[in-house]
Amino acid sequence: MATAIVAARVMVPPAQASLWSDAWRRLRRNRLALVSAFYLIFLVGIAVLGIFWTPYRMSAVGIAQPYSGPSAAHLLGADGVGRDMLSRLIIGAQISLVVGVGTQVLVLAVGVPIGLLAGYYRGWFDSVVSFVINVFYGIPDLLVALTLVFLLGPSLTNIIIAIVATRWMDMTRLVRGQTLSLREREFIEAARASGAKPTKILFGHVLPNALGPIIVQATFGIPAAILFEAFLSFLGVGIQPPTPSWGSMAADGLAALRIAPHIVLVPAIALSITLMAFNFLGDGLRDALDPRSRR
Amino acid sequence: MLTRGTLIYISQRIVLIGFTVLAVSSLVFLGIHRLPGDALFSEHFRGNEEQILLHHYGLDQPLWVQYKDYVAGVVTRGDLGESLVNRGVKITPLVLREFTVSAEVGLVALVFTIGLGMVLGVVAAVRQNTWLDYVLTTTSVIGYSMPSFVVATLLLLVFAVWLDNVTNGAFFYQLGWHGTYGSFGEIWLPAFALGFPYASIVARLTRASMLEVIRQDYIRTARAKGLRETVIMVRHALRNALIPVTTVLGPLVIGIITGGVIIENIFGIPGLGKEFAQSILSRDYSIVIGVFTMYAAMVGLANLGVDLLYVVIDPRIRY
Repeated sequence: MATAIVAARVMVPPAQASLWSDAWRRLRRNRLALVSAFYLIFLVGIAVLGIFWTPYRMSAVGIAQPYSGPSAAHLLGADGVGRDMLSRLIIGAQISLVVGVGTQVLVLAVGVPIGLLAGYYRGWFDSVVSFVINVFYGIPDLLVALTLVFLLGPSLTNIIIAIVATRWMDMTRLVRGQTLSLREREFIEAARASGAKPTKILFGHVLPNALGPIIVQATFGIPAAILFEAFLSFLGVGIQPPTPSWGSMAADGLAALRIAPHIVLVPAIALSITLMAFNFLGDGLRDALDPRSRR
Repeated sequence: MLTRGTLIYISQRIVLIGFTVLAVSSLVFLGIHRLPGDALFSEHFRGNEEQILLHHYGLDQPLWVQYKDYVAGVVTRGDLGESLVNRGVKITPLVLREFTVSAEVGLVALVFTIGLGMVLGVVAAVRQNTWLDYVLTTTSVIGYSMPSFVVATLLLLVFAVWLDNVTNGAFFYQLGWHGTYGSFGEIWLPAFALGFPYASIVARLTRASMLEVIRQDYIRTARAKGLRETVIMVRHALRNALIPVTTVLGPLVIGIITGGVIIENIFGIPGLGKEFAQSILSRDYSIVIGVFTMYAAMVGLANLGVDLLYVVIDPRIRY
């Protein structure tokens, strides 16, 4: 009798570890991903700060000696017409983050519902979706994006639309594949048997179970979108002056590579570090959310 | 290898490429007309010069007549029209020449990508978990995180500026391009900048698949037979390790074509990419259409080439 009570006391269930707390524990152990996450939080902070305050006005010409290097008054130097590089870099960070995150929000808004419906109902809708995806994969993304930006005109919204047009297929295919495999599982069958509505099944049961891969995919999508925007702006068809983008800033500095290399280096380094941080964070999230896929 | 099935497959693909090219150029042709601005805007005309010019380009016709003439010209004569800015310059020979320049740089870049990526991947796999492996793996992560124009500007800083200063002008990379096709001294740096990010990807893949292959039984058999290590690695391991690598060839070639747009602008190479940026900035719309058409054809043909290469590398694939 006494031993039974002791045994019952010992069998107190351990603190429940959900998928998310487990993932968080694994992510915390990945130093590279953690450092990347801190850097990105810092970058977002700087970009938000830039809405209210920058050291100088980003378009103010001639407030510094043109081509002058870093100094106390202008921490990152000045560009070819004497604009403060630091202020422009901060505005560029806003642009990059808005493009990166905005693109992924739209990609999610397009890819998740279409993927869920195609994967769950199959039939003709699935065939049409798969066909359109294959067509889009057949055309190179540069051609699609350039054509769209060129025809719609270069503005922030149109750049985001153009990038979404080249990126929505990955997410749609992923969600569709996840749904296809989840819909055969017992708990979905149980939900259907107990009379749950299709919307409840899709958004209450299927989507939460596919969330891990979706988050990872979205994290990898952000740097890809940022790179694409920098690429378009570098070519001169992206963000239009005087608004700076890291891509157009690098393009501006290219002519002065010999006399003032900092004009190219500052945006180039900022861009590289940001892309790397997103990639490392994506790697970390993938390992944390899906331990089986660890390479 | 060249069976009847393959030939039918190739001809089907070529027809499909033709339709894609026509669709892309039609879309751009029709879309361009809703854009504001025009190429003749900044010119000063006397008398009826403007009317004569508009008539010369057929711009006084309704849009559907212009489009009909354009498609007829492309399909029957391969004629993409005439430059709006440089009067009398025919676009078809222009973009064809620029296409060969871009293809030249792209092919050298491809050689860099595959050669460098394979060698680094094999070395990293053979010396797995040594400092050399760690250095190579880390470099490849940095390599594919860096956009091509960052790689290119860093290379320019090192080879054109820093090396010039250090050696007092004895060795340096001369930025510029002589003649139509340049010389090897001018090509290697842009080609390297273009290929480097993709070389990192190839190196990662080669390393991963090499590591899988060298644990196979037939490698142990080869060792037991007393073959030399280099023979084992090159003949037995690498050949089979390359099959997974071929799956990225398609995206890789497209990436090199895409990246070429940037690299050509940085290094001043007179190829399609440079023309593309220039014609957009100078609003030379008929060249923009021509360049888009050329790119669509280039991408289609490159994809076809890669698909045919699969057959050569992996005899199990048939079309």
